[in-house]
Amino acid sequence: MALSQNTDIKTTFHELADTWRRETGYMSSAQDMAMHPAYQRIMGMGQPAIALILKELEAKPDHWFWALRSLTGENPVLAEHIGNVKLMAQDWLSWGYKHGYV
Amino acid sequence: MPEDYIVAIFPSLAQSNYKITSPFTIDYNCIAWAAGDIEKWWWPSSDTYWPPGLVRENTLRSFVSMFESLGYESCESQESEPGYEKIAIYHNDNGRPTHTARQLSSGLWTSKLGKLEDIEHETLKGLEGQSYGTVAHIIRRHLQSPEPTA
Repeated sequence: MALSQNTDIKTTFHELADTWRRETGYMSSAQDMAMHPAYQRIMGMGQPAIALILKELEAKPDHWFWALRSLTGENPVLAEHIGNVKLMAQDWLSWGYKHGYV
Repeated sequence: MPEDYIVAIFPSLAQSNYKITSPFTIDYNCIAWAAGDIEKWWWPSSDTYWPPGLVRENTLRSFVSMFESLGYESCESQESEPGYEKIAIYHNDNGRPTHTARQLSSGLWTSKLGKLEDIEHETLKGLEGQSYGTVAHIIRRHLQSPEPTA
C-alpha cells in the first residue's frame, strides 16, 4: 500500500473513531454503539482497519469486538472474559500478535 | 459539579440537581452498576455479560426477567420505600431498553452513564429525553437486614 494512502486510512480511521467515541459515550448497548454510522464506516474499511482497531484497543479498550469479529471471522475471547472489556481487549491483542497485526 | 457535556446529552438534568460520583470508566455500565457489579459490561448481546441461562434479548421483558433472577419484583411507585431498593428501567421510542438507574437509601438515584461517569441525580426525569427515552418500568427488592453484630 502506498505511504500516502496508508496515511489517509489512518487519518480517516482516527477521525471516525473519535466521532464514534464522542457520540456513543452515554450508551450501554454495544449493539447501538456498533450501529453508529462512524463504526459502520470503520467496518466498511475492511482488512486495513483490523490493525488500526487493535492499536486503538491497546491504547483505549472499548467496544470494538463486533467489528473485529466481523472483519476477521474470529472470536478469540475466552468465555470467562466476556463482559470484562479490558480482558476481552487483551484476548484480541494476543490474537493480533499471533497473526501479525500488532 | 455539573458538567456541560453531560447536560448536553441529558438536557433535563439542567432542571434538577445532580453530581458526578466517579471517574469515567469502560469497566462497567448502567446495568452492572444497578446490579452491584463494577467489573463487567452487562447487556443481552454476544460480546457482553448476561447472567447464564437467561434469554439474551434486547427487550424490556428480558431485562425485567434478569432483575427478577436477582430478587427484584415489579412495582408501581418510584417513591422511596423504607426497606426496599428500587431500579428504574428506561426505554426508547421503539420499546428497547436504554438505561437503568438504582435508588439510594437517600431517595436519590445513581446512574452509570454508558462509558462515562456515575452520577447521583435527584429525579428519574433528569435522564429522560432523546438519549435514554423514558422510564418504562420500576422494580424493587427487599434490602437484607444488617448482619447482627457481636
